[in-house]
Amino acid sequence: MRNKVVPALAALVLGSTLAACGTPGSSSSGAAAETIKIAIIPPSSGALAQFGSDSAKGWQYAVDEVNAKGGIDGRKVELIKKDTDATSATTLRAAREAVTQDGAAFIGGVMTSTENGALNQQLAGLNALSFNSLGKDDALTGKDCTGNAFRTVQTNLMDVNALAASLKTLPGDKWAIQAVDYSTGHSAAAVFTQAAKAAGKQVVLEQYAPLNTTEFGSYISKLSSSDADALFAVEYGADGVAFVNQAAQFNLPAKFESVLGFNMVSEPLFPALGDKIVGFYNNVGYDIAANNALNTAFVQGYTQKFGSKPYYVVADAYLAAETLFAGIRKAGSADPAKVRDALNNLTFDSIAGQVTMRAGDHQLVRPSYLGQVVKDGSGLAFKIIASADGAQTTPQADPACKL
Amino acid sequence: MNSVATPAPVVEHLPPAEPVGLTRRLALRGTVLALVIAVAGFAVPYLVPDKYTMGLLLDGIILALLALGIGFLARHLGLISLGHTAFFGGAAYALAIATQQWGWGMVPAAVFGFAVGTMLALLMGLLVVRASGMGFLMLTLALGQALYQLCVQTVARPYTGAYDGLQVANEGTFFGMGSATVMNAALFWPVVWVVLVVAALVLWWLGRARFGVVLEGIRENEERMRFSGYNTFRPRLYAFVVSGAVAALGGVLFALNAAYVSPDLLSFTKAGDSLIAAIVGGLGSLAGPVLGALVYIYAQATFNSSGNLHLYTGIALVLVLVFLPGGLTGGLGRLARRLRKKVRR
Amino acid sequence: MNFAQLLNGVAFGSLLMILSSGLAMIYGLRGVTNFAHGALYMAGAYLAYSVSTNFSFWLALIVAPLALAVLGAVLELVFFRRLEHRSHIEVGLVTFGIALVLERVIVLIWGERTLAVSAPGGLGGTTSVFGVAYPTYRLLIIAVAVVLAAALVWWLRGTRLGLHIRAASRDGETSAILGIDSDRVSLVVVCVGAALAGLAGALAAPYVSVDPGMGVSILINVLIVVVIGGAGSIAGAMIAGMALGIVQTLGAVLLPSLSVLVPYIALVAVLLWRPAGLAGKGVAR
Repeated sequence: MRNKVVPALAALVLGSTLAACGTPGSSSSGAAAETIKIAIIPPSSGALAQFGSDSAKGWQYAVDEVNAKGGIDGRKVELIKKDTDATSATTLRAAREAVTQDGAAFIGGVMTSTENGALNQQLAGLNALSFNSLGKDDALTGKDCTGNAFRTVQTNLMDVNALAASLKTLPGDKWAIQAVDYSTGHSAAAVFTQAAKAAGKQVVLEQYAPLNTTEFGSYISKLSSSDADALFAVEYGADGVAFVNQAAQFNLPAKFESVLGFNMVSEPLFPALGDKIVGFYNNVGYDIAANNALNTAFVQGYTQKFGSKPYYVVADAYLAAETLFAGIRKAGSADPAKVRDALNNLTFDSIAGQVTMRAGDHQLVRPSYLGQVVKDGSGLAFKIIASADGAQTTPQADPACKL
Repeated sequence: MNSVATPAPVVEHLPPAEPVGLTRRLALRGTVLALVIAVAGFAVPYLVPDKYTMGLLLDGIILALLALGIGFLARHLGLISLGHTAFFGGAAYALAIATQQWGWGMVPAAVFGFAVGTMLALLMGLLVVRASGMGFLMLTLALGQALYQLCVQTVARPYTGAYDGLQVANEGTFFGMGSATVMNAALFWPVVWVVLVVAALVLWWLGRARFGVVLEGIRENEERMRFSGYNTFRPRLYAFVVSGAVAALGGVLFALNAAYVSPDLLSFTKAGDSLIAAIVGGLGSLAGPVLGALVYIYAQATFNSSGNLHLYTGIALVLVLVFLPGGLTGGLGRLARRLRKKVRR
Repeated sequence: MNFAQLLNGVAFGSLLMILSSGLAMIYGLRGVTNFAHGALYMAGAYLAYSVSTNFSFWLALIVAPLALAVLGAVLELVFFRRLEHRSHIEVGLVTFGIALVLERVIVLIWGERTLAVSAPGGLGGTTSVFGVAYPTYRLLIIAVAVVLAAALVWWLRGTRLGLHIRAASRDGETSAILGIDSDRVSLVVVCVGAALAGLAGALAAPYVSVDPGMGVSILINVLIVVVIGGAGSIAGAMIAGMALGIVQTLGAVLLPSLSVLVPYIALVAVLLWRPAGLAGKGVAR
């Protein structure tokens, strides 16, 4: 016993003498240097890793482009890459590390809505701004909104509203809904049902599969035996791949005049899904063929540099960077508080056309599209069929957001 | 079955347990030591220069509470539990629900969270303590995962937020600390440190006292204990509930500090990781799981970026189980004894 | 369309059956709860993906079990044999660690994306079964599982090696005294068990997608099946596997929110009512 008490007492004495050395809780000084530091925290493992690395590419491209032009008002931009496994705890730790040790004032590349929600809580304490280009859950600019968080990707509601607006033109009158048993699934199904009614269509079947379902047989059998002639499917990621592949084995798509996916079919999944998805409709957030100077330059430059065309994850990351840079330019400073104020109701030109960062909920107002998968020479691609601009899909700020 | 001897618990390769028995002098010494350690720990925020390391240390001692619970059960009853995350996560969720959905203040919510966690331990304990060995492991795993599934179902969304998790609305004060203070690692450290030391002290007391002797007896030969007139069910249940309560404490503090709870607190991955942390740290001593938790948090911070965290935890687990039974503290203890022998010569 | 749903349950149950028979064999003989079984299954699926995209699916059905048998031999020789005298929980935890390592190595080799394997030519469509158009590939899985179950039972009951396995599983000491080479028997059992996991993985590849989470998600189901079926009883595990597959699938149709809890409730109920499992010897020791 005595052997343990002496060293413990020594530690106590040492501790008290050092008590004068400083106050706990003070952050290491992050005096505003000339470099603008942005931390991106994409997932580097797990099913979302692919999207994570593509998002990082988009940011890196934007940063390199602006640095090549001499920076923003002479200030260079530095991109700090952190990694996470897409759990909130790891992402928060990475964010804290980026802000306190690396001096970042802006955060991007955070993938899931869950992580973004957790991060939002900490932003005020970190004195950093976050630019969400991936998490589409409505609540992030709704009841969970916070002053330091900005979203540049469309919300689920905006995308579903865009789909709903074109519902009349899609073949099929009796719709079945197959959705994931998750917030996105339910809210998308609700909006779709309303729109279907307005378009004079019927919803004859509605079913939900738990997240991470790998065996869709029972759901597919039910769809087969229903009298639906069109399908609205909200299954994404690995669930979406399993669903589409298994549905093909059951020869299900042959039954339907339209298969409309929500967040289900996307460019990175084209190889895994193959030709069976030709003719599927899906929401599209980014129109690669958008006819404005910034977009044309972006697509050209990116394709040249990386050898493949940019898709929505890359483009949304680039757009988030554009938004941040626009805010810094307007504020004339890289101080987070000033940039935050400058971004309120800021309208600027981007690859998605002229867009506005709405002050009421910090949501970027931009168009959403409906696309169809077609086979073009080198593989599969989306053909944009219809578009709905921001004023249509999100006419006002989310009332649940109190900023 | 290809077993020659009756399967011994994991702790069989450790040095002989220290003599049990709690004299007043011993109890006093233990309390004084705990006091000294507690006060010494207050110096840590002043010694640690940056916010990031401080955050890691705090995460470490919060996880240490969970590992401590697991370790206590393994040390004294030889039972390996994969269900303690249910108490940690359950308490965290209860606190979050109380603050977010019902608008309670931090202190009542913390009490509620602790109560819920302990209650879950009691309920699970009633079901599982009759089993032992692999059956116990499977039952705790199944029940823990059942809680996870319940939490992520859409029907639970209004309460738990399902897959999205729940923000903790840190209203009011927690013993004088506002929400910003509670979320600050350096300022919240003294609270968690004191809780950890007190919990360790209580577990140490219980382990040394008559209760611990009874547990030891049950671990060695349950039938004999029963024939000797001891009720074996109740001590096991109490031990389980106490270990669960310690884990629940950790959960409550976690929820206050992180201000966000998500389903991965209850997941299979977290259950496995906390068990590995306890095993690698060393199940044979009280401080082992604490050390294991700190090492795990450090490993997580270092290796998570490459996504290879579980590669290394898997390797660490296999190496420790095969070559270093008793974990890091066991190994260090053996090393210390060997050095002491050399010095004495 | 209840018959199609029943077939769905039988298909999933068949997969569980193949997996759980392998796990039950290993558990019965070595007393080890092989937490790495899900990882073995995953390895089989990923190998099948590579072989079938480069060569053919039928070749994959042969290569995957063989490769996994080799992996099983490694497990037996390097781990199980050396740790023979440790407690069963410790060995189980070692397999848990091995599972973590194996799953990560697989992802490091093949990447994080979800991969798809298409059903072999001719089996990609549907066949009419009692008036219901059902995917032909799933019928193949059911057929393979039935043949396998029959073959396994015949092997265990009808051959000398099978006799030795059953004897060694029941009482290792006595069978060693009687001259049965327990080391050789163990090696065979672990290899066959791992090969069965690999076969299940290869069969599952066109059925469910090949993704990094597949090992963990199937593991809990298989463990529950083996425990319910009865420790060490292969027939019990097979029946429990089929039963759980059917119950869970039908449950998902009728009571979606609660069906995920079915395996856990079943496990708790069985372990509390009959700690030995429905057909076997003691699990709760």
